Amino acid sequence: TPRHATPSIPSRTLAARQPTNVLEEARTRLHVSSVPESLPCREQEFQDIYSFVESKIIDGTGGCMYISGVPGTGKTATVHEVMRCLQHVADVDEIPPFNFVEINGMKMTDPHQAYVQILQKLTGQKATADHAAVLLEKRFSSPAPRQETTVLLVDELDLLWTRKQNVMYNLFDWPTRRHARLVVLTIANTMDLPERIMINRVASRLGLTRMSFQPYGFKQLQQIITSRLNKVKAFEEDALQLVSRKVAALSGDARRCLDICRRATEICEHSAPDPSATGLVGMSHVMEALDEMFSSPYITAIKCASVQEQLFLRAVIAEFRRLGLEEATFQQVFVQHQALCRVEGLGPVGVSEGRAACQRLGACRLLLLEPSRLGLLQRVRLNVSQDDVLYALKAD
Amino acid sequence: MTALLQHPGYEEQRLQRVAEQLPCRELQAGTLLALMGEPQQYSYPSIFIYGHRASGKSHVMDVLMSELELPNATVSCVECVSVPLLFEQVLLSFFGCDAASLLPRSPSLSDFVRIYKQQCSQSPAKETRYIVMEKSELLRDTDANLLPALLRLQELVEDNVTVILLSEIVWDVFRPNTGCFEPLLLNFPDYSKGELLQILSQDRHPSYSAEFYLSYINILLGVFYSVCRDLRELRHLAALNFSKFCEPLTEGKAKETDTHKLWKNIEPHLKKAMQTVYLREVSSLQWEQMQQMEERESGAVRGLSAHTHVELPYYSKFLLIAAYLASYNPARTDRRFFLKHHGKIRKTNFLKKNEKMSNHLLGPKPFPLDRLLAIFYSVVDSRVAPTASIFSQISSLVTLQLLTLVSHDDQLDAPKYKCAVSMDFISAISRTVNFDIVKYLYDFL
Repeated sequence: TPRHATPSIPSRTLAARQPTNVLEEARTRLHVSSVPESLPCREQEFQDIYSFVESKIIDGTGGCMYISGVPGTGKTATVHEVMRCLQHVADVDEIPPFNFVEINGMKMTDPHQAYVQILQKLTGQKATADHAAVLLEKRFSSPAPRQETTVLLVDELDLLWTRKQNVMYNLFDWPTRRHARLVVLTIANTMDLPERIMINRVASRLGLTRMSFQPYGFKQLQQIITSRLNKVKAFEEDALQLVSRKVAALSGDARRCLDICRRATEICEHSAPDPSATGLVGMSHVMEALDEMFSSPYITAIKCASVQEQLFLRAVIAEFRRLGLEEATFQQVFVQHQALCRVEGLGPVGVSEGRAACQRLGACRLLLLEPSRLGLLQRVRLNVSQDDVLYALKAD
Repeated sequence: MTALLQHPGYEEQRLQRVAEQLPCRELQAGTLLALMGEPQQYSYPSIFIYGHRASGKSHVMDVLMSELELPNATVSCVECVSVPLLFEQVLLSFFGCDAASLLPRSPSLSDFVRIYKQQCSQSPAKETRYIVMEKSELLRDTDANLLPALLRLQELVEDNVTVILLSEIVWDVFRPNTGCFEPLLLNFPDYSKGELLQILSQDRHPSYSAEFYLSYINILLGVFYSVCRDLRELRHLAALNFSKFCEPLTEGKAKETDTHKLWKNIEPHLKKAMQTVYLREVSSLQWEQMQQMEERESGAVRGLSAHTHVELPYYSKFLLIAAYLASYNPARTDRRFFLKHHGKIRKTNFLKKNEKMSNHLLGPKPFPLDRLLAIFYSVVDSRVAPTASIFSQISSLVTLQLLTLVSHDDQLDAPKYKCAVSMDFISAISRTVNFDIVKYLYDFL
């Protein structure tokens, strides 16, 4: 029955299309999913992680490493590349063979599922969370001289947090056992995560092997794009520089940068008069893509709102100014709304209409509202700054 | 009259029958029929009907559904204490009990939609299906996603289905904060006096003439219309008092045309009914029995509110009196009332600006246990030991809801109480122990 069906993405029936022109070629190369073999600009971090894991594997000991950095700085990609290289080296027998196990906190319904997944990936056994914890405990604490080293990658570590922190504690405690031969690499977004959420006995076991990935600078971003494009001539130099400078100034997120470039190629393709003869992606295309990505949708929403909704927003600001507060009840705002209607020469507005306008604005999160059952005493707050509202209302 | 109810999709006779059953609601029924369209046409996904109590919302839907034989599921949201019951009822009335039994143990909204779709593909709708939700204001207290989903059920299940919500309150206080599909709003206005007259005069007694009954309804409305416009209530009162109205006729004292005499006879009776049976002080059965027994004056039976006399132990009475005094007197005046040697302080000197208002209008104020006991010892003449029984009497007064505990339940140290009895009640109690409470109340100084 459909009750037991597993949800899945429908599989592709047709083969993926081969790129036909330069822009399509560029787009496939710039796609986030096509990770290149070597990551530019992360050589130092690669080296550090590589030597850490390699030394542990050769010595047959265990250890933990904590890797942090804002999203889109290549943490996961770098670690995966390290593991690929090590696997290659292990295949040619330069270092002892090892197991690689990866778990992701985001993919689990419950932190305790981590045990189940680790056990399944290590031995293929299926067990409940408690039983899996016992089995893993036994495996990592009993001496087994022929056992291979296990490298465990824990992505999105902050989601494994439980109130007693036993999952984290176990993950960091196992490597310290004498016979464990376990290397744990953990990845999270914030640098001070161990200090913030972990209790002392967990944080101390995590140790001080920390690494933080800095956001990319504009030169690095430019290098990443050029290396991705790999001699495909689709972008003007200035356009690339603009994208990387903008992204570096805002977040330094490489994925964001690639997205903008891909969007710019689409814009370029659509704006070309003749589909066969498209030029290079220029400044104007990139500017348009950047605008789409970074401009606030709130202002556009206010600009496109109906007359009564715009009047209501003006009434909200007028009432805030009168009260000197950032909060008012619907009743108070509605009095202003009616007065504004009179001033504008519009017909008088009823309470139901006023509330409909108010609640539509609340539904698109321009206003923050209390539940509607409070009636006229529902309190209203702005979710955007007053300046933004005034700018949007004045612009026309 | 029936001209309003014309619709190409339905038989003439049936529409006529509908019109006969819906006096003064032809306009609304016509609008609804127009919205519903012909049976096989798609109707609007959701219609929200609001109007006061007894304005004929359910009745109109009921008559339309039953007379025109439309496939419908009428669900009362009061009965459906949980959402699964609601789903079950809808499936039951559309597809029979086999479909309802397909629902898993605790069905979610998606289970409902899945089973509905599955059943719907087996028996596709030839006509619009209607889900009528009575008292739909209770839908707001269920899961947040239920109301938005019901409003666009047509889209979700891909079937010709219309959800009709009936409620006494306006749509503005229904709308979820995240927005939803807006239903069509339809208002049922109140019946006017003329319309009430027309509807009420329909159920006349067969042994009397129509004009006679009409004049009775006229008198009834003349008395009750200013306080009550609820059709059900008026109908109930009309049925209760009609036998009294006919009395002069059966006794031969008056004829049907003696309107003034009949009015003279019934009017004080109706006035009394307003104070007794309308407030449910006297039950309808008692009222009828009272009419049977001529000699006993109606209203002589003590109503419900006259039964406020409660037998309390001696000290409990004083505890309650002390609690009342503590609740309604400002603490500053305690010296003046309860100590022996105090200087005479006049009320005007005492008054603060915010105390101009009577304490009895503001309601009782909380007081600590110490103050209650202090007042208690000063109002009781004899020496009372603070035994366990005194303290347990305080807590049993709380369980009797004569006192209320203001602070947390678990507080043993200095709990605060409020007195929850009325002035009449406490003066009745103080009369039984010969205590003049008015002398001790600050408001009546």
